[in-house]
Amino acid sequence: MVSTGSYLALSGILFAIGMYGVLTRRTAVMVFLSVELMLNAANLSLVAFARAWGDLTAQTAVFIVMTLAAAEVAIGLAIIVTIFRKRETTNVDNLSELKG
Amino acid sequence: MANVAFILLGALIIVGAIITVAARNAVHAALGLVGTLIALAGMYATMNASFVSVVQVIVYAGAVMVLFLFVIMLLNANLPVSGNNPVPYVTEIAAIGGALLASAFVVLAFTYSDPKPLAQAAAQLQNGAPGPVGETLLTRFLLPFEAVSILLLVAVVGSVALVQRPVVQPDAVTEGAAQSGKEVRA
Repeated sequence: MVSTGSYLALSGILFAIGMYGVLTRRTAVMVFLSVELMLNAANLSLVAFARAWGDLTAQTAVFIVMTLAAAEVAIGLAIIVTIFRKRETTNVDNLSELKG
Repeated sequence: MANVAFILLGALIIVGAIITVAARNAVHAALGLVGTLIALAGMYATMNASFVSVVQVIVYAGAVMVLFLFVIMLLNANLPVSGNNPVPYVTEIAAIGGALLASAFVVLAFTYSDPKPLAQAAAQLQNGAPGPVGETLLTRFLLPFEAVSILLLVAVVGSVALVQRPVVQPDAVTEGAAQSGKEVRA
């Protein structure tokens, strides 16, 4: 069987790639896609820990994370659509001030 | 056999993730993320988590990514942002930071030792079937489960409230303008 460490290393690499995307991409939708990568890295390590400990608790926590991600996408994309209607752009550099 | 599956799926996951953060076109990035999510579902299937794997395909690779692609098409956001980045050296700093973070995680991951033999632990998972997972969800995770239902309700109501068009106030405009406003909406 593949060791738990290999899965955790893959999860860490995935998380770092997602972090790079969050820091460098300039469209709000692309920042969201990178956040999804980071959430999935967390899910991968949760499932790996569930297998290492023989306990279903961590696998169940994955469902909570997935639901949170779905809610985040629903509300976040609604905010992006609203901002796009007002400002005609979703470039995060132009959205740096919190004026309506 | 398990090693071959891990290497193939792991390579797919990394390649999809790199496409996601590096593609110039947002549609290509979203499709790269779909590849990553489906490969992750396969990875879960090899880790005695069959129900998580199925839900990953249905919810993440299905519903969430359809929503993403819909918004990318709706906003015509598939073209890259041009012009100079106002933050100096952000790409270099992010690359170095990402590499440092990844190497720290890799070193940490290989210092982790399993609490009991893997085959023995995996047998206790009952292959991650829906029944045992649901039992844990409705006993040990009952409070988070109910909190998540409230969160989803708030998210649905909030997104509907956010994207609705502002209603024309009948007393703020003249009779003729209100009439034409109604016709436009109809």
